Amino acid sequence: MKSKVKTYSIERKQARYGFAFTLPCLLFFGFFSFYPIINAFITSLTNRKAVGKTWNFVGFDNYAYLFTQSNGGFSLLNSLKATGLFTLGCFIPMVVIALLLSVLIMQLRKPWQKKFFELSYYIPAVLSSVVAATIWRIMFQPTGLINQLSNWVMFTSGRDYKWLTDNGMLVASTIIVYFWKYIGYFTILFITGLASIPPTIYEAAIVDGSSRWHTFWKITLPLLKPTVMLVSIMAMLQCLKTFSTQYMFVIGGTARKPIDVITMNIFYTGITNGYLGRASAMSIVLFVIMLVFTYLQFAAQKGGEDVEY
Amino acid sequence: MNNAYVGKVRAGEVIVHILLVLIVAFVILPILFMLVASFMDSRQIMAMPFNWIPSKSYFSSSSRTFLTNFVKAIRGNNDNNIFFRALINSLIVSITCAATTVFFSALCGYGLAKFRFKGRTFVFMAIMSTMMIPFEAIMIPLYMVSKMLGIMNTLPGLIIPFAISAFGVFQMRQYLLTFPSEFLDASRVDGLGEFNIFLRIVLPNSTPVIATLGILSFRNQWDNLLWPMLCAQAEKLKTLPLYISGFAQEKQTDEGALMACAFLASIPMFILFFTLSKYFLGGAAVFESRKG
Repeated sequence: MKSKVKTYSIERKQARYGFAFTLPCLLFFGFFSFYPIINAFITSLTNRKAVGKTWNFVGFDNYAYLFTQSNGGFSLLNSLKATGLFTLGCFIPMVVIALLLSVLIMQLRKPWQKKFFELSYYIPAVLSSVVAATIWRIMFQPTGLINQLSNWVMFTSGRDYKWLTDNGMLVASTIIVYFWKYIGYFTILFITGLASIPPTIYEAAIVDGSSRWHTFWKITLPLLKPTVMLVSIMAMLQCLKTFSTQYMFVIGGTARKPIDVITMNIFYTGITNGYLGRASAMSIVLFVIMLVFTYLQFAAQKGGEDVEY
Repeated sequence: MNNAYVGKVRAGEVIVHILLVLIVAFVILPILFMLVASFMDSRQIMAMPFNWIPSKSYFSSSSRTFLTNFVKAIRGNNDNNIFFRALINSLIVSITCAATTVFFSALCGYGLAKFRFKGRTFVFMAIMSTMMIPFEAIMIPLYMVSKMLGIMNTLPGLIIPFAISAFGVFQMRQYLLTFPSEFLDASRVDGLGEFNIFLRIVLPNSTPVIATLGILSFRNQWDNLLWPMLCAQAEKLKTLPLYISGFAQEKQTDEGALMACAFLASIPMFILFFTLSKYFLGGAAVFESRKG
C-alpha cells in the first residue's frame, strides 16, 4: 500500500515536469500566434490606421470595401486572382515534374548518380528567394540570357518575348523563378516517400512479369498517393504565401498589378499606406483560405496512415 | 534475354539520363550565370550573344578591376559598408533562432512524448493548431505587438517572433516517442534530475533530428525578408535579404554589382550546404517522422 502511494506521487511529480517543459512553448504560441490572430480579426473590424491614436469599430465595412472597391488600384479581388493564378500555375507542374524526376532518380543504379542528381537539384533551394529573384530578373531582361535561349529553342531570331513587360509573361516569369527554386526540394520529398516503399513489392512485381510502366501506374503511384496528396498541399500552401519573388520583381521595376499577390497587397496596404484595419481584413481572408487547405492537408495525412504495405 | 530487349532498355536509360542532365542544366545555369556575371559590367551581361567567359578587355580597362563589382556590393548604396554588418546580423538572427527553436521544441516535444499529465492532448493540439496560422496573416498584429513591447528596431525584435516553431515541436515529439524509456528510468535511478536528464541524455541522443531542425530554422530566417522589412528600419539592423533588396532597388541597372552582391550573400549558405548536405536532404524527414 505504502509503495503504491509513493509511485503515485512520483508520477505526479513527473507529470508536473512534463507540463513545465511544455510551458515555454505554450506561452510563446499564446503570445505570438493566438493573440495576434485574434488581434488581426478585431483590428479587421476597425478603421485603425498606422498614424492617429483613435479608431472606431466599423463592423464588416473593411471586408465590404475590399470585395467591392479598388483599394487605390490594387484590389483584393485582383490579388486573389494573382495569387490563384500563381499558385495553380506553379504547384501543379512542380508536383508533377518533381514526381517524375524522383521516379527517374530512384531508377538509377549507381548510388553516386543518385547523390549527384539529388545534390544538384537541391542547390537552388539553398539560395535565398531574394537572390533567386534577382538572378532571374536580370536574365529576363530584353537582351538577357533567357530571350537568347528562347530564340534559340523556338528557332526565332532577335525576338523579345517580353518576360517582364507583358502581363501574362510576367506571371509566368515569377512562376519560373519559384519553380526553379523549389523543384529540387519537392523532388527530395518524393524520393523520401519512394524510399519508404519496401523493395520486396517491386521484386514481386518483376517476378510476376510486370513492365516498368505498368509497375509505376499500378504499384508506385497508388502506394505514393498519400505522399502525393501531402506534397501537393504543402506546395500549394507555400505558393499561397509567396512574397519575396514578386516583391523583388516590383522593386526591380516591373508592373505590380499582375503579380500583386495577397501577401504583397497586405504589406503595401498595411505597412506602406498604413491602413491597418483594411490590411488585417486581407490577412483574415488569407488565413481562412490557408485554413481550408491546411484542413485538407491533415485529412490527406490521416488518409496516409491507412495505407499498409 | 534477347538483344532487342537489352537495346530497348539501354535506349530508355539514355533518354532518362538526357532528361535528368537537361534538368541539371536548367537548375545550374542561373547559378553559373550569377557567378560569371558578378565579374562583368552591364554591357557584357546584356551582350548578344552572351559570352560565358568574362572578356580580357574588360579586366584591363583602367576604370574597372577584377573586383570592382564586389567592392561596390560591399560598399552598399551610400558607401557606408554595411554589407558585413548585414551579414553578421543575418548570422546572429539565423543562428539564435536555430538554437532556440531546437532547444524549446525539444523540451516541449520531450514533455509531450514522455510524460503523462492532465491536458497533454489539449496542449499538443493547441500547439499543432498554430501551424494553421501563417506568419503572413499575423504580421500586422505582430508589428503592433512589437511596437508595444518596444522590440521594434532591435535584434531581439527580429528573433523573438521566430524563436519557436510548432513544426519543430511536432518533429521532436514524433522522434522522442520512440526514445527508449528504460534509458530515462535508469538515469532517474542514478539520481539525475528531470531537467538534467533532458539536457544530458535526451538532447545528446537526438542529434540527427536536431541537425535537421536547426538547419531548417536557420534557412527560414536566412531567407526571411518580410519580417525584417517591418521590424528593422535602422540601417545597422538590416539583414542580408533586406540589404540585397535595398541594393537592388537602388542599383536596378548595375547588374554586375547586383550579381556580385547576390553571390557574396550566398557563400555562407553554400558552405553550410556542402558540409552538411546530409541534413539538408534529410529535411524531408517529415515523412519518416509521420510514422513514429
